[in-house]
Amino acid sequence: MLHVKIPTRKEVIEEEKSKGKRIAAVYPIHYPRELFRVFNIQPVEVWGPPKTDTKKANAHLQSYICSVVQSGLSFYLEGYLDIVDLIVVPHSCDSLQGLGSIFKDFIKPKQELVTIYLPREKNKENVEFLANELKRIYKQLSQLCGFEPDDEKLMEEIKTEEKIDKLVFKFYKSRENLPLSSREFYTILRSREYLPPDKFKSILEYALLHASKGKLKKTGIVLSGLLPEPMDILDVIDDMDAFVAIDDMACCMRRVYGEGHSSDPFERIAERIVNGPPDPTKGNSFDERFEFIKSLADLTSAKGVIFYNVKFCEPEYFYHPILKEKLSKAQIRSLIIENDINEPLPQQTITRIKAFIEMIRESS
Amino acid sequence: MGVKDKIKYIFSYKIAGKLLIEYNTKKTFKNFKPPKNWRTDILAPSLRTGVYTKEIIAKHYLEGRYVSGVKPVAWVTSGAPIEILKALGFYILYPENHGALCGARKVALEISEEAEKKGYSIDICSYARTDIGATLSKKTPVGKLPKPDLLLCCTNICQTVLYWYRVLAEYYKVPLIVIDTPFVYDEAKEHDIEYVKKQLEASIEVSEKVAGKSLSFSKLKEVVRLSKMAAELWLEIMNANKNKPAPISVFDQFIHMAPIVEKRGDPETVDFYSKMLDEINERIKNGIGAIKNERKRVLWDNLPIWYKIRFLSEFLAENGVSVIASTYTNAWGELAPMMDIERPIESMAKTYVYPILNRGTGHKLKTMETMVKEFDLDGAILHSDRSCKPYSVGQMDQRLKLLNELGVAALLLEADHNDPRAFADEQIKSRLKAFMEMMD
Repeated sequence: MLHVKIPTRKEVIEEEKSKGKRIAAVYPIHYPRELFRVFNIQPVEVWGPPKTDTKKANAHLQSYICSVVQSGLSFYLEGYLDIVDLIVVPHSCDSLQGLGSIFKDFIKPKQELVTIYLPREKNKENVEFLANELKRIYKQLSQLCGFEPDDEKLMEEIKTEEKIDKLVFKFYKSRENLPLSSREFYTILRSREYLPPDKFKSILEYALLHASKGKLKKTGIVLSGLLPEPMDILDVIDDMDAFVAIDDMACCMRRVYGEGHSSDPFERIAERIVNGPPDPTKGNSFDERFEFIKSLADLTSAKGVIFYNVKFCEPEYFYHPILKEKLSKAQIRSLIIENDINEPLPQQTITRIKAFIEMIRESS
Repeated sequence: MGVKDKIKYIFSYKIAGKLLIEYNTKKTFKNFKPPKNWRTDILAPSLRTGVYTKEIIAKHYLEGRYVSGVKPVAWVTSGAPIEILKALGFYILYPENHGALCGARKVALEISEEAEKKGYSIDICSYARTDIGATLSKKTPVGKLPKPDLLLCCTNICQTVLYWYRVLAEYYKVPLIVIDTPFVYDEAKEHDIEYVKKQLEASIEVSEKVAGKSLSFSKLKEVVRLSKMAAELWLEIMNANKNKPAPISVFDQFIHMAPIVEKRGDPETVDFYSKMLDEINERIKNGIGAIKNERKRVLWDNLPIWYKIRFLSEFLAENGVSVIASTYTNAWGELAPMMDIERPIESMAKTYVYPILNRGTGHKLKTMETMVKEFDLDGAILHSDRSCKPYSVGQMDQRLKLLNELGVAALLLEADHNDPRAFADEQIKSRLKAFMEMMD
């Protein structure tokens, strides 16, 4: 166990505000952190949050919209985002598309609303489109902030993010050597959702200092899905003398982008996002997703994959049957479970996870 | 192209099949009678030209049975830019339309369950489940669906189609063209249109390769011209409902929209809608309304509930409610003016970015408000469709605005376009009764 003090979102917002920074509340999933930072805007991501009372969102969204979007809207309507200066809604799925549209047309927040359209395929035209989309957002932000940072400054922010992505990857690779529970590991990792880069970097570096040579002698699992909420799922896995060795989650690994190549900063950010790890919301092929998940399992000692789905998340649903079949052919067992981020893990789910871990342990 | 396939195609479809269907149509048209159990006490007789809807659809699916190996086959999404494929001679199949047909014939559930058995969640779109179920089990009420040689998926109706077509591409191992259309929150930006244009241009090469021939731009222009003409006629048919009484119900439109979706770009479709418009104008001249006692005029928002069209149509007609305008059927006509025959690719890029489903919730509200005024409507039924999130998200705010700012009675009706498990007759009746009371 490590004693790492990680500030809360509230503490970060207050501190960054006191330094004169603007705060952007960012909904899932992909967005250009660098572009906001160069305007002295601190992005703080809104993934729900879990255990939110969604009554207020129920006045705008039907019951068949996922709890991440329901909670995200309720959180705003309850006034928890009053402190922020911008609201950013990336076009990740039909529900988030609807959320952005409802914000713009009906809720009309007092804050600036930024929407981002993310292209769905992985090719040159899409990089070009996203670069143009980023230039449009640059103009919007420069109007809001009253200044136009130059390409050099933007490139500096990009390189900072690229370095952090490398460090995050190293953190993943060291997972088995770190004396951390799965909950601790993901608490550290997910603090990137709201910490400034220097703070996040120092926490990671500190944690990495404690990497030992001996490996964890536990059963490794690949966790796939949107986010590990409620975090009790991580405890359930750990309680079985297992651990999350690596993940294919939207809030974590799917946003560890590679280095860009272009000398144009907008194109470089676009390259990073478009060519990043496969993600259902980007519409990647089954083969790309299978190869990626398999490579994650190969990189670690993971013996099985748990698809942990948020109820009503359509992009994830479509991939499950074929991925499960492909993994099975590759001798990798998998389990599909679904939950609502506002509900505790049902006993039935806990039993299924336990049975799955026992099964993969026995067969390995 | 196999000689055997071609002979079979010519004989079974081109000669025997087509002749038989056309003969039946002529006979039915001549001795026209409304279908059995048609409630002539509350409804106008069904449209006589409706026999041609059946003919067009019957021919389409019959051709599908024998077309493999004769023409290249493409499966496409309902909002896809099909003009290029049409000009290249593809046989085009719309899985959504096939899904709707399965829904209307009440076999969608059985077919969807085939997909559910394989692990597809009950919470994914019921069209997708029906199509994947049909793909896995080969079950279909039309005999046989041709295997695709190419898949064309356009995201201007939802993101769901992207994942759905990935499943199809995985299953059929054929090329998938994705036309990604940026969502229009207010107005499309220049780079949005340019992006779609580039994708359309890139799609030509892939389509030509599959078709084994080059695209003729004069043929493309001709297809665009026919497509535009049919869409304009369709728009005129819908606008005829500004008359009182309204001559054609939205439930009829749901049935007769099949050709504008799956046969646009064909000369027969233009002829068909031209005939239908004549019949509708005749109805207007004779003061014939879609329902006998048009007491209230109502709008329908979102997809139809395919397996309950008759139930809804009769229940509402019994109570003097005529459903006469729809954002859904309107979608296949409203963009017709944007098509430019002389600049097909450029105008397609723009047109296909602007369908109502690819536009913001505020735009849909404006469309409904315009319809309320132009069609002199008393109320709106907003079908909150579990299977169609992009259409349904925003309806709760839209309903309130219609109610509070326009003073129009508005009902949110929870159901699903193809899954009957989401529909309870008595519950729906009592919701509709309360809605009718609101209008009185």
